[in-house]
Amino acid sequence: MTKRQLFYVFNFLILALFIAAVVVDNNREWKGYQAEFNRLEVIRLKEAMNKAPDEAEKSALAVAVKLKKREPVAIKQILANDLGRADRCITCHPGFDPLANPTLTTPYEKAPYKTPEVAEHKSHNLTKLACTSCHMGQGLATTVEDAHGEVPHWEEPMLKGVYIQASCVRCHGDFKTLKGAETAKRGKELVDRLGCVGCHSFNGVGGEISVDLGDIADKPVSRIDWSHTGECKGAECGPLPRHQWNVKNWIEAHFTKDTLLLVPGDPEGHQCAPGAHCEPVPPSGMPPFSAELSKEDAAAITTYLMGQTSNKVPSNYYVYSAKEPEPKFANAVEHGKFVFSKYGCAGCHGEGGKEGRRNYNAKANDQTKMEEGREPTLVKVVGNFTRDELRDKIKKGVPASAVAKFKEDGPTPPLYMPKWEEKIKGAELEDLMTYLFSIAEKQEAW
Amino acid sequence: MADNNAPAAPNPAPQPAAAAPKLDMDALLKEATNNQVWKSMFRNWPWQDNARHRARHIVDNLWLHLHPTKVRPRALETTFTWGLGGLSFLLYLLLTVTGVLLMFYYRPTVELAYQDMKDLEFAVSFGIFLRNAHRWGAHGMVTIVILHMIRVFLTGSYKKPREFNWGVGVILLTLTLFLSFTGYLLPWDQLAIWAVTVGTNMAAATPLLGNEGPFANLLGMTISNDVRFVLLGGTTVGANTLLRFYVMHCVLVPLVTGALIMLHFWRVRKDTFSAAPREPNEEKLDVWPHLVVREYIAAAICIAFIFFVSVYFNAPLEEVANPNVTPNPSKAPWYFLGLQELLVYFDPWIAGVLLPGLIIKGLCAIPYLDTNPKGVGEYNWKDRPFANAVFMFGIAMWFILIAIGVYCRGPNYFWYWPWESWLIHKPAPPATWSFPIWAGLVSLAAYGGLGMALPRVLKGDIDWKKANWGFAVFALALGAFMGFKGIETWRIIVVDILLWLTFVFGFLYPQRHLKELDFTRYSVTQSLNLMMMGVLLKMGVRLGLDVKYILELPQFNLNI
Repeated sequence: MTKRQLFYVFNFLILALFIAAVVVDNNREWKGYQAEFNRLEVIRLKEAMNKAPDEAEKSALAVAVKLKKREPVAIKQILANDLGRADRCITCHPGFDPLANPTLTTPYEKAPYKTPEVAEHKSHNLTKLACTSCHMGQGLATTVEDAHGEVPHWEEPMLKGVYIQASCVRCHGDFKTLKGAETAKRGKELVDRLGCVGCHSFNGVGGEISVDLGDIADKPVSRIDWSHTGECKGAECGPLPRHQWNVKNWIEAHFTKDTLLLVPGDPEGHQCAPGAHCEPVPPSGMPPFSAELSKEDAAAITTYLMGQTSNKVPSNYYVYSAKEPEPKFANAVEHGKFVFSKYGCAGCHGEGGKEGRRNYNAKANDQTKMEEGREPTLVKVVGNFTRDELRDKIKKGVPASAVAKFKEDGPTPPLYMPKWEEKIKGAELEDLMTYLFSIAEKQEAW
Repeated sequence: MADNNAPAAPNPAPQPAAAAPKLDMDALLKEATNNQVWKSMFRNWPWQDNARHRARHIVDNLWLHLHPTKVRPRALETTFTWGLGGLSFLLYLLLTVTGVLLMFYYRPTVELAYQDMKDLEFAVSFGIFLRNAHRWGAHGMVTIVILHMIRVFLTGSYKKPREFNWGVGVILLTLTLFLSFTGYLLPWDQLAIWAVTVGTNMAAATPLLGNEGPFANLLGMTISNDVRFVLLGGTTVGANTLLRFYVMHCVLVPLVTGALIMLHFWRVRKDTFSAAPREPNEEKLDVWPHLVVREYIAAAICIAFIFFVSVYFNAPLEEVANPNVTPNPSKAPWYFLGLQELLVYFDPWIAGVLLPGLIIKGLCAIPYLDTNPKGVGEYNWKDRPFANAVFMFGIAMWFILIAIGVYCRGPNYFWYWPWESWLIHKPAPPATWSFPIWAGLVSLAAYGGLGMALPRVLKGDIDWKKANWGFAVFALALGAFMGFKGIETWRIIVVDILLWLTFVFGFLYPQRHLKELDFTRYSVTQSLNLMMMGVLLKMGVRLGLDVKYILELPQFNLNI
């Protein structure tokens, strides 16, 4: 090519690319959605105008039609300064604009204009709360994918379905009595019943064996090992697709999968450097709950836990709950049963102490594999103790190093009996023991 | 239309009365230009296509007058300069324009910076296009400046009288890297703060001046008064760092760079352009239009490329910066990944301070070490085998290390092939060991002493074929011995290859080509050369034999 031809070719190429940049910039997704909404509104207003009973209303609607026709498409946003949110959701969902459409309803059936009657929208001041304070997602974004937030590098995707109730937990101390937060309430009840606090604490209150769940919803995605979170083939689970890497899916996997498959650890020491001596790493110590929890149960616990965040709303936004009344008990056994649940003993020893849960590589009866290791089943073993021995056991606990192993060179069993002497004492301790002896199987006299 | 009229009017003579007034462009142009206003703006109007006017086009134009009016034909060849120097400057201008526009939308505070990135992407008209153009333009500038340096080296354009300007160029390269590095922090996402954390942590390893460097206690360096603290405005990358980097990125470094670019251009002009004559007494060619049109086309191609990439590929943006969450792995910007790769084999004060310092100083020293008068202004491999081979070897090493850092390093900085998933858990690397102090001292002394002495002491020509065969026998024997010791084959191959490279570039080449050099030049050249090969050797003994340190003096924080 001659220089002159090159000159023209590249000048026009630059011009074409610049036009392409203009076109790309002008055809942003949100513009189409908003223009279509305005078009629908014009049609609706015109129909209303034609049906208008008197002239005054007719001319008023004619003005409305004119204004709507002239309305330019523009980014619209709700600035919730107290909560640090700038949400552009109403750019594509104009029906939810609390200023332009105070009723927050539109007759349209199709997304993104579908705006059904939602009691919660009416009871929450959207101009102060915006959208993402409850729904999550990426409020600053203006494309469907980015705004709804299931994209890499956005850690708070939209909470869909029942999971939105996690947001009730964040601001409502009284969520257990709140209409519409039933799933979160069920999650809280399950957490109490299963004895999660035996190992986990919530903001410092609870067990010491595993992580504090008081801010579990804030867990950074990059701290999570995603390698076994996805579909399983037999005993091998692959990773979740990248766009589904979020803390909600991570929490839920603990209740829908065997934790042994989710966090397999390195019990055989394969990760050890050649020639070096390393301690084998046990799999997740969390007992498997997936078999006994339904899908709804798993979703309920996940919902409750997704409400556990340290990003607290300002106190004037928080709804405090009334203090729960002190429970009263008919006798020592009833009180002991309450204590058993209060400290999450069921987490390891099973509900009512009826079946010890899995403790990898701990010694158990009739065991052939490391994963058949179990925590003691209280109804079977408590009968062997005198009251003083039992008191001593609860107070002092059994350190991890003293838990008997099934395979000597296998990993240290992840679960152990913590020292309870600082936490359970006085009448609580005595009544707990009374309860335990009441459920223990009777030992035959020698 | 002409066909339709043809039969009716065989003679297409104009009929002024009937036809509409015809648009006479020439007359119009004359009208527009033949007046006081136009002539006051454009000197020497009207333009005539003769030698005098072509020259005046250059000297009478502020933007063009840094060019000479005539250049040698070779200078016009695309394959001589590849337009790289001009493109570097073009990208500097492009980055200034896009950068100034971006400054309208960007607030350098930790609360707002990341939000402004999102605004640029989702709300600002052309915001993402501007950011993309700035980002890709910056990577392009780093690449092109490096390529420009390689071109200038290979055409011998740094030789007398252009030694000083080569040094200015090396400083400009460093400033380009620093400009890009300071800009890397501004989006305030995870990518940004951790890359800058990696980069600035190296400053903490500066001997004497950094709190983790050798002899730090002599000057009483602590984490809160050393050179890294000055750079960051704190002990970690935080709000002060963002502000400092913003000011350096937008004001300080561009100004210094701009000033040095002026000096660089001025010296190119004063030292004359290096292109060598193709034949004796050849006619020089007019810069206007020959060079100007080529420069224009090169610039157009470059801009078209940046535009294309900016329209279709978005600049990366990760999660908002979180000093409590370290990504695994954390990587420096790509052009520093070669140095980060060296961190695998060396302590930070060597990888992050000593070696980059030596590279910059070594580059600046090249024109004063290279006394070979041949190969100025032309690609000439035949007459300067040592210079070209060693320089290109260094460049290849630099880019191979970068490629390893970019594509082959995964979690825990373990080796992951590009096609391997980072979710696979890899076993830890084998345990390492160090030489005892006496062995370390002996090995270093032997390497340095023999490396310095042998090429100079051994007179006469060594037959390379025989030498290489001899080395092959040695390599085989060594390999057999290592195999006998139970070392894997791939490690033996790595050690053998790296030893052979050291043998060729550290001994054979210098023995043949550096003998005639005076003592000072020889010592400096060969010690720089040995240092480069030493990096390679250290990599070899780590990969092949799991050696952590050759010399270990923990009491001084001095480990090699």
